[in-house]
Amino acid sequence: MEIAQAGREAPGPRQRTGIPRRTQDLLTITIFLAPAFILFLVFLVYPIFSSLYFSLFNWNGLGPAVDFIGLDNFKQILTDHVFMKAVGDCFLVVVLSLIVQLPLALALAIMVGRDLPGRAFFRAVFFMPYVLSEVITAIIWLGLFSADPARGLINALLIIIPGMQPQGFLSDIHQVLLCVFIVLSWKYFGLHMLLYMAGLQNIPKEIEEAAMIDGANRWQLTTNVTIPLLASTIRTTIYLSVLGSLTQFTLVWIMTKGGPVNASEFMATYMYRFGFVRFMLGYGSAVALVMLLICLFFSVVYLRIARQPDDLGGL
Amino acid sequence: MSRKIYTILSLVLVGAFALAACGTAATSVPTQAPAATQPAAAPTTAPAATNTAAPKPVTINWWHISTADPGLSFWQGLANQYMSAHPNVTINITVLENEAFKTKLTTVLQSGNPPDVFQSWGGGDMNSQVEAGMLQDITPALDADNGAWRNTFSPGALSVYAYQGKNYGVPWDMGMVGFWYNKDLFTQAGITDTPATWTDFLADVKKLKAAGITPISLGEGDKWPGMHIWMYLATRIGGEAAFDAAYTQKGSFTDPPFVTAFQDLQQLIALQPFQPGYLSATHDDMEGYFGNGKAAMELTGQWGPSVEIADSADKKGVANLGFFNFPAVEGGVGKNTDVCGGGNGFAIGKNAPPEAIDFVKFLTSATNEAQMAKLGMGIPPVVGAESGLTDPNMLAVKQNVENATYFQLYYDQYLPPAMGSALNDSVQTIFAGTATPQQAAQAIEDSAKQNLK
Amino acid sequence: MPANPRPRNRNLKKYLPRLFQYLILSLVTLIIIVPIVILLFDSLKTNGEMFLHPYTPPDIPQWGNYVHILTKSSFWVLMRNSLVVMAASTAGVLFVCSLAAFVFARMRFRGKDLAFNFLTLGLMFPITVAIMPVYLVIRQMHLTNTLIAVILVQTAFGISGNILILRGFFLAVPSELQDAASIDGCTAFGFFWRVLLPLVRPALAAVGALTMIVSWNDLLTPLVILDSENLWTLPLGTMQFQGQYSSDLALVAAFVAISSVPAILFYLFAERQIVTGLTAGALKG
Repeated sequence: MEIAQAGREAPGPRQRTGIPRRTQDLLTITIFLAPAFILFLVFLVYPIFSSLYFSLFNWNGLGPAVDFIGLDNFKQILTDHVFMKAVGDCFLVVVLSLIVQLPLALALAIMVGRDLPGRAFFRAVFFMPYVLSEVITAIIWLGLFSADPARGLINALLIIIPGMQPQGFLSDIHQVLLCVFIVLSWKYFGLHMLLYMAGLQNIPKEIEEAAMIDGANRWQLTTNVTIPLLASTIRTTIYLSVLGSLTQFTLVWIMTKGGPVNASEFMATYMYRFGFVRFMLGYGSAVALVMLLICLFFSVVYLRIARQPDDLGGL
Repeated sequence: MSRKIYTILSLVLVGAFALAACGTAATSVPTQAPAATQPAAAPTTAPAATNTAAPKPVTINWWHISTADPGLSFWQGLANQYMSAHPNVTINITVLENEAFKTKLTTVLQSGNPPDVFQSWGGGDMNSQVEAGMLQDITPALDADNGAWRNTFSPGALSVYAYQGKNYGVPWDMGMVGFWYNKDLFTQAGITDTPATWTDFLADVKKLKAAGITPISLGEGDKWPGMHIWMYLATRIGGEAAFDAAYTQKGSFTDPPFVTAFQDLQQLIALQPFQPGYLSATHDDMEGYFGNGKAAMELTGQWGPSVEIADSADKKGVANLGFFNFPAVEGGVGKNTDVCGGGNGFAIGKNAPPEAIDFVKFLTSATNEAQMAKLGMGIPPVVGAESGLTDPNMLAVKQNVENATYFQLYYDQYLPPAMGSALNDSVQTIFAGTATPQQAAQAIEDSAKQNLK
Repeated sequence: MPANPRPRNRNLKKYLPRLFQYLILSLVTLIIIVPIVILLFDSLKTNGEMFLHPYTPPDIPQWGNYVHILTKSSFWVLMRNSLVVMAASTAGVLFVCSLAAFVFARMRFRGKDLAFNFLTLGLMFPITVAIMPVYLVIRQMHLTNTLIAVILVQTAFGISGNILILRGFFLAVPSELQDAASIDGCTAFGFFWRVLLPLVRPALAAVGALTMIVSWNDLLTPLVILDSENLWTLPLGTMQFQGQYSSDLALVAAFVAISSVPAILFYLFAERQIVTGLTAGALKG
C-alpha cells in the first residue's frame, strides 16, 4: 500500500526537483520507440543493405564471400528468361486477380448486403479458407487437381460431361498457372469480401434510400452510389491483392514448385530455388533486391494514384 | 466478447510457456519481451551419470531417407540394437523424404552443422561437401588393422565415396538403373520377349498403348527420373568416350551423341507412353502408379522393387516383376554392358564423434548388409553379404554391375551440384516440349562452361 | 380479377432476385465446403478404399488414422513449437507495437511523421521479399535453427501493419482523457498503462488474434531458419509429412485434417476479433 502511494506521488516531487516535463516526455518517446526501431533496423533495414553487398559476389555461402563479380548477378537476372517468365506470371496473376477475383468478391459482398438473412453464415463460410494455412490449402487442392480421375475430383466431374477428356491441370504447362490462380482465389476472395462487407456497413443507409427515392434502380444504385462510396476499401483490397500476388510463395511452392518447366514460376519461387535450394546466396540476394525494387515501384505508383498513404493498413 | 478472447489469449500463452518449459527444445523463450534478444540456452544436459566409470554419453545424429518400410523399421532396429549394446550412445534419427532431404541438408551444411551420419550418393555433390570442409576423412578407420574394414567393401563401390584418394563415406548399396517391368501386363499386350533394341522398345510401347496399358510410369516432377532415360540414351549412343570428352571439355554436350539422345527421347515422348500428369508427378507417385499395376514399366534403380511395394495401395506391389537392361540403340558406339547407376551410402559429418564411425561400421557389417539385401532394399557392396540376395532380378542387377564394361554414376550426382540441376532442368524442357534438342544440349553446355573448369 | 395477379406478381418480383441470390451464394458455399468435406472423408478411409472410392463417405470410419497421427507422429512436438512461436510473436508484436503506436498517437515531437512513415515502410516489404536478406543476417547472428530467430523475424515483420492499426485505435480515444490525466499528475507512461491500454483492450485482442493467425500459418520463416525436426512448426511439419507419406493419401489427409483443427477452432471463437482487426487495418488506417 505504501509503495503504491509512493508511486502515485512520484510525479510530484520529480517535477519539483526540476526535471522538466519535456525531458521526461522525450525519455518516454525514446524508450517507447526503441524496441520497434531496433527490430526494424536489425531485421529489415540492415538485411537489405547487407544483401546489397552480397549481391555483388558469386557466393555459395560456404566460407566468406570473396569472388567479387560486380553487377554480373543483376545482368544475369535481367537476361534470364526464366526470371522474366516469373515476373510475367506474377503480373498475369495480378491482372487476373484485379479483373476476376476482386469483382467477384465485390459482387458477392453486395449480394449479401447488410440485411440478407443468413448473412453471418455466408460470411463465416466464405472467410474460412483464409484461416486455413496455405500449406493445408495447397495439399487439399493438390489432390483435387490430380490428373488421374480416380484421384482428382475435378477430373472426375469433368469426365461425366460427354466428350470431355481428363485434363493435366498442374502437370499441363498451359493450365498450371490458371489452376494456381483458382486456388489463390478460393483462399483469398473471402478476405476481400469481408473487407467490402465492412465497408458497406459504413455507408449510411440514408444515402442509398435517398437515391432510391430519386428513382434510381438497383443497378444504378450500385454503380453510382455504393461502389464510389467503397472507393477507399477497394483501393486497399487492390493494394493487398497486388502485393500478395507479387510475393506469393507457399501455395505455389507446395503445389508445383514453380513447374513444370517454370510454367508456374513466381518471383518468390525463383528466389527460393536459387537462394535456398541451390544456395547461390549472392545471386539469391540480387534476386531479392530486384523483387524489392518491383514491390517498391508498385507501392510508389499506388501512393501516387491513391494519394492516401493511410489506406495501407490491414496486412 | 473481448474478455473471452483475453481468456483464450492468456490461456494459450500460459499453455505454450508450460509446454516450452517441459520440452527440451534448444531455445529458450523470453517470458516477457521478445524484443530482448536472449541467447539460446543450452539444451538441458543429461544428469551426471551415477557410475563414474561409464563412458561419456555420446549423441549421434543420423539422417536417412528410407521413409517407408522395410527400410524405416530396419534402420530403426539397427539403431536400437547398437544403442542397447552401447548404453552411452544415443542415436537421433531424422527421416526425410528424398527431395526434402536434399534441401534440408544444404541448409545445415550452410550453417556448418552437418549431421554426424547422413545419406550420400557420392560423386559431385559429396565432393563439393568435402571442399567446403563439411565431411570427415575416414580413411584411417578404413585402413586400420591392415585395412580390415576397407577389405569388406567392393573397391569400385567404395571409390564412389572417395575424393582425391580419401574416403568421406562408405556405400551400403550399389546397383544400377534399368527397366523394371510388370510381366503380366507385358503378356496381356502380347509381348513375349524383352526388347533388345530401341526400335523393339518403341514397338513394345506401341503394343502396350494399343492394349490400353500405360507403357511407362514416370515422375518427371522430380526431374531426375526422366533424366535417367536421356542419360542411358546418351551412353548407348556415345559410349564412355563421348561423355569423357564433354566432361573434360575437350568435346561438348552439344556433340551429336547428346543431341541424338534428345531426338530419340522425343521419339519416345511422341508416343505418349507416360501416365497422365507425369510431368508434375513425384518419384513416389511414379513408384505408386507402377506398384498399383497401372503401368507396364519404370526405369529406375535397384531400390525400385522395395519402393514400388511401399508406395502401392495394398503394400503388395507388382506380383510378377521382371528386369531388363536398357536396350541398345542402333548405330550407337556404347556397349550393352555399359551401365549407368549408383547406390546409396553414408557420409560422415565433420563433427562426428568416433562412435559415429563405429556405428557406420556396424551398419555395413556383413550380417546387417545381408539382412538389408534380404529385405530387397538394395544390393550389398559388402563381401560376405551376398547370401542375403536371393531375388533373381536383384542377382541379375548385381551381375550387370560387376561385369560392367563402363560404369557411369548418375550424371546429376557425378557432375557438380549446380550443373546437375541445370542438366535435370534441360531434360525436363524436352519432356514439356518447350525446347528443341539443340537448345537443351546448349543449355547443358552453357552450365558446363561455368561449372567444369 | 385484376386484384389477384398483382400481389402475386409483386411477390414474384420480390422473391425471384432473392432466390437467385441464394442460388449463387449456395453455389459458392459448395465450392468452399466440398474440398474440406472431401478431406475429412479421405482422412477416415483406408488407403485401399481411397483408391476405390475416393469421393464417397468412408464405409467404416478409420479413426485409427487419427490415433496414428496423434500417437505415432511428431504431431505434438510440432504443435508445441507452433504454440511457443505463436505466443511469443504475438506477445512481442503487442508489446512493441502498442508502445510505438501510443507515441505516434499521443505524443508530439519533431520528426514524428518521418519516424512514423519510416516504420510503416515495412508494409511494402512482405517477409517473402526480404527472407533471403533476413536469413543472411540470422546466419551472421548464429541464430539459425532456433525458435527465437523465428519469433524475432515474425515480430519484426508484424511491426509496420500493427502500429498502423493500433495508432488508429489509440487516436479514437478522446484526448480530453489524457488532458484530465495529465492534470491529475499522471505521467505519459502512467496514462498509457493505467488509462489507455485498458480502454483499447478490444483493439489489442483484434491485433493479437490477427498476429496469431499470421504466425500460426507462416511457413517460409520456419522453413528457411529451422533444420531440426524437433523444432519444426506445424505448417513445416505438415509439408514434410506430405512429402514423406505421399503414397499414404489417407494418412496425409488425416494429418492435414488434424492440423487444421486448431485454426478452425480459433476462428470460431475469435471471429469477431479477427474481423475487427482486418477491417480496422483496411478502413481506419
